[in-house]
Amino acid sequence: MTRYEQAAAAAVALMLVAAGFIFLFAPADALQGPVQRIFYLHVSAAIAAYGCFAVVLIGGVVYLWKENVAADRLARAAALVGLVFTSVTLVMGMIWAKPIWGTFWTWDARLTSTLVLWIIYAGYLMVRRLAEPGRQSARFAAVVGIFGFIDVPVVHFSVTWWRTQHPGAVVLNDALPPQMLVAFLITMACTLVLAAVMIAIRYRIEILTDQATEKVVAPIVAQTRAGDAR
Amino acid sequence: MRSISIALAVARKDLASEWRTREIVPALAQFVVLALVIANFGFQFDSHNAPAIAPGVLWMALVFAGLVAFGRAFAAEREQASLEAMLMTPATPAAIFAGKALAAALLLVICEAVLLPALALFFAVPLTFDEVSAVLLATVGMAVLGCLFAAMVARVRARELLLPLLTLPLWIPFVVIGGQAVQSAMSGGSTTNSANGLLLDLDILFVVLTSLAARFVLDD
Repeated sequence: MTRYEQAAAAAVALMLVAAGFIFLFAPADALQGPVQRIFYLHVSAAIAAYGCFAVVLIGGVVYLWKENVAADRLARAAALVGLVFTSVTLVMGMIWAKPIWGTFWTWDARLTSTLVLWIIYAGYLMVRRLAEPGRQSARFAAVVGIFGFIDVPVVHFSVTWWRTQHPGAVVLNDALPPQMLVAFLITMACTLVLAAVMIAIRYRIEILTDQATEKVVAPIVAQTRAGDAR
Repeated sequence: MRSISIALAVARKDLASEWRTREIVPALAQFVVLALVIANFGFQFDSHNAPAIAPGVLWMALVFAGLVAFGRAFAAEREQASLEAMLMTPATPAAIFAGKALAAALLLVICEAVLLPALALFFAVPLTFDEVSAVLLATVGMAVLGCLFAAMVARVRARELLLPLLTLPLWIPFVVIGGQAVQSAMSGGSTTNSANGLLLDLDILFVVLTSLAARFVLDD
């Protein structure tokens, strides 16, 4: 097994441990019943997504500042993983909303700003794809990643700035019973490890992609240059 | 000081070329009036629901007109490859960008001068100072963001596809706050001072951020 396969296996094992805590250790919610168990992964995935987008922001700033290719690659990897975790948050939230609010979707500030977050980082990946590979795509994506991060605090504080149907902070407000808090913290830690492993693997894929592109593109560039010289 | 005069010169150049060709403004004016016609059919409009629907129609028309206006701002430069020439001068990219954004914002303001009275006329809603000030304040921030991404997409493939994808999400704050301000102005309320303050804050934030980012988008 390679290092990456080992890390992936460990991350999956940790998520199974988290599942154990969610389904076996944490008590069922008195009002909502079993569906409340969505909470643990829903919130953890949202936090992991914030973390990924923070990496995109930092990677973008470092790239613009130092033209460091590794920082750009890291940002690229984190954007994709962050988008995956935002999707998980949205989908789990919708599944939870249906039985509790009676609808999959409501246009409240938290849901809307999260959807916008998803669209912004999908746009980030589109820029990567459509801009010229190399310096241009890295620069443009860094700018999009920096501007896009403005939506992260909006998502986070939306529940305090507006009257939302989505509940406000329960973890920070000490509103969770101890067993639920333990299950939540363990799920969050495992999810963050999973996100980090996903970023590491994606980072490796980005390196290989860059190398492959280089291998294909370099001879063509050389050939064109030779043609121009003649 | 020099940067300001450079920005003004760039803006003057863009406005002069628009004055000579008269491409964007007449097209946008027709576009916003057409948007009102479509809105009239889309919503079953009558005198009762007008104050509720008109703000939405205003922002939809404005946002899409803005996308067209800002997309064109860099399209001509790209077609003539004249941006490279401008960047070869000692002028800073931020000053050039500020000039382009200023000109594009003014074109959108001209288009708003058609849209707002037309809305008042066709939808029988009041045209108030609060409404105009909210729209103008939103225009500033929308223009700098729109021009930044327009400058970016002018250099990539599938630019018409990408511009709305990048720009619209970041315009949402302006539509949210401006939308509420216009809504309350049209229904006779007058509590838009806080909205104007917020719009001004957003304008300052995005003017600063875009002028910092301009270097990375224009120059490569």
